[in-house]
Amino acid sequence: MKKNIPLAIVMIGGLIWVLWVFIPHKILSEDFMYKFYIPWVYVQFPFGVILGVLSLIMMHKTKIQRKAPKWQYSFFALGGIAITCIAGFGWGNQNGSPMMWMFTNMQMPMSSTMFSLLAFYIASAAYKAFRARSPEATVLLLAAVVVMMAQVPFGLKISRHLPDISQWILDVPNNAAKRGIVFGLGLGGVATSLKILLGIERSYLGGGD
Amino acid sequence: MKIFEVLQALDRRYIYLVVALAIIVPLMIPYNSDVVTTPPTENLYQLIDSYAGRSDKAILVSFNHDAATMPELFPMEVAIIRHCFERKIKLFTVSFLAAGAPIIDYAINSVKEEYPDIQSGVHYCNFGYKIMPMITALGMGDNIATTIDTDAEGRKLATLPIMKDIVNYNEMNLIIETSGSTAGGVWITYARAKFGANVAVGVTAVMAADMYPYLQSGQLIGMLTGLKGAAEYEKLVDVFAAYRDDYFPTGRPFSKEILRDESVKKLINITTQTQAAFTPEEYNSITAKYPLQINELNKLKQDKDGQVVFDVSKISPDEQKALGDNLWNVLNKKTYNILYKFKTARIGMNAQSVAHIMIFVFILFGNIGYFISKAKEKKA
Repeated sequence: MKKNIPLAIVMIGGLIWVLWVFIPHKILSEDFMYKFYIPWVYVQFPFGVILGVLSLIMMHKTKIQRKAPKWQYSFFALGGIAITCIAGFGWGNQNGSPMMWMFTNMQMPMSSTMFSLLAFYIASAAYKAFRARSPEATVLLLAAVVVMMAQVPFGLKISRHLPDISQWILDVPNNAAKRGIVFGLGLGGVATSLKILLGIERSYLGGGD
Repeated sequence: MKIFEVLQALDRRYIYLVVALAIIVPLMIPYNSDVVTTPPTENLYQLIDSYAGRSDKAILVSFNHDAATMPELFPMEVAIIRHCFERKIKLFTVSFLAAGAPIIDYAINSVKEEYPDIQSGVHYCNFGYKIMPMITALGMGDNIATTIDTDAEGRKLATLPIMKDIVNYNEMNLIIETSGSTAGGVWITYARAKFGANVAVGVTAVMAADMYPYLQSGQLIGMLTGLKGAAEYEKLVDVFAAYRDDYFPTGRPFSKEILRDESVKKLINITTQTQAAFTPEEYNSITAKYPLQINELNKLKQDKDGQVVFDVSKISPDEQKALGDNLWNVLNKKTYNILYKFKTARIGMNAQSVAHIMIFVFILFGNIGYFISKAKEKKA
């Protein structure tokens, strides 16, 4: 029972979606979708949010209580949640509200700074590790240089053909490789889904009886 | 040869310093440069522009990113919103990320400041943060007003003037998703495949290569690639949508010939422009339109190379008052000065130019040093 009922739920649930995609009948596309599935999804979502927030608070609370490594930072995380909630529930997120002030003056610059660190690492890696060690590495290096230079206005000054060469690299070799990966992922996804639907793949049920 | 050995062992902190300078200096001191527009950007621009002034067509922009990727994605969002406001194209916005909702407000408010006649609920509508992209994408294929129900301001969607003639994807026929990771997935799978909606994406440069298969297959009708895509779109808006003259009082249609024309250069300068130059005929038509301000105009004008020139930076606040708001706007418009917020991507492209050259030099030096040390090893 412990195995068969979950397996049946997965099988029936999965098959409904397979039928929904391949059979555009009113019962499936309207009655099931709009009258049953969507309302249930909307009900389920707030519970997910509550669960997430509670889990985060409990995790940081435990960390502080146990004085786990870097426990002091948990105060910032909990304080951040509290202040953001007060600002959001209290004044909304209209222009000029505390929430928007925090967003534009704190979250935006901090997040952008973290993302911009990428430029420093790329430059450092380009200098220290991007070497023409083998014919394959040389092809990669040349392709990278062409695409990189074609991206900026200065590239046109080097050669007016540079953007065309860069576009060819993106359209032909890049697309060929990407398509291969996408097909592989797609076929892998279909195979795994079928194995789950047919009860062959059962690892999601957890180990043991 | 020793120099390359020294450079090989260079501390990475010096590299970081060079990177910082290469980015900061061009941002602080902008210079005029041109970005060549590419077909994915042009296609998107043309499709959006084809909805100009139509009550039965609209676009939806999905802000699917947080603040981290704003430097690349925000300028393209601002450029698209500006395009819509300039050409009176109905605009809807949505975010399926809680962190994306404030970005919508920030983007719309930034652009709206310059368009006082644009109204929420009439010209644009922000759906705000919505959950479950798949459900929303499918529901909107049936009916937008019943799926979304209320907008970000809590107003019933069905009662808003913007919803007149807009029912589902037949009208809201273009969805643009801006994202820092994989973009357009839900829209391609459901809105395009099931309902035939047009889908386009705006992505960070590192994600662009992933999107090319969809672009080539026609599942995406256009794509804005990182800061370059944003810079291209900003340029198109300046050259076509924001262009005004007697023949095109509400902006002009896209044309490859115009883009190749030399006259475009004065429309896309990103350095501060203060000179408003008129031909004698244009000046006569202005004086005919504003007869009460002739004396003030004659006092301020200069004659240069057969043209009547006004330097707006030298006009005092009292003189501005005497000219009146309308005439002041005419002079200001003629300088073709672009507001900072509408050229951030192009200023950023200057910094990117220098950064790319610098990385190229790093790669070159690194490899020269590598081959020299390899040759030495062989000799030994």
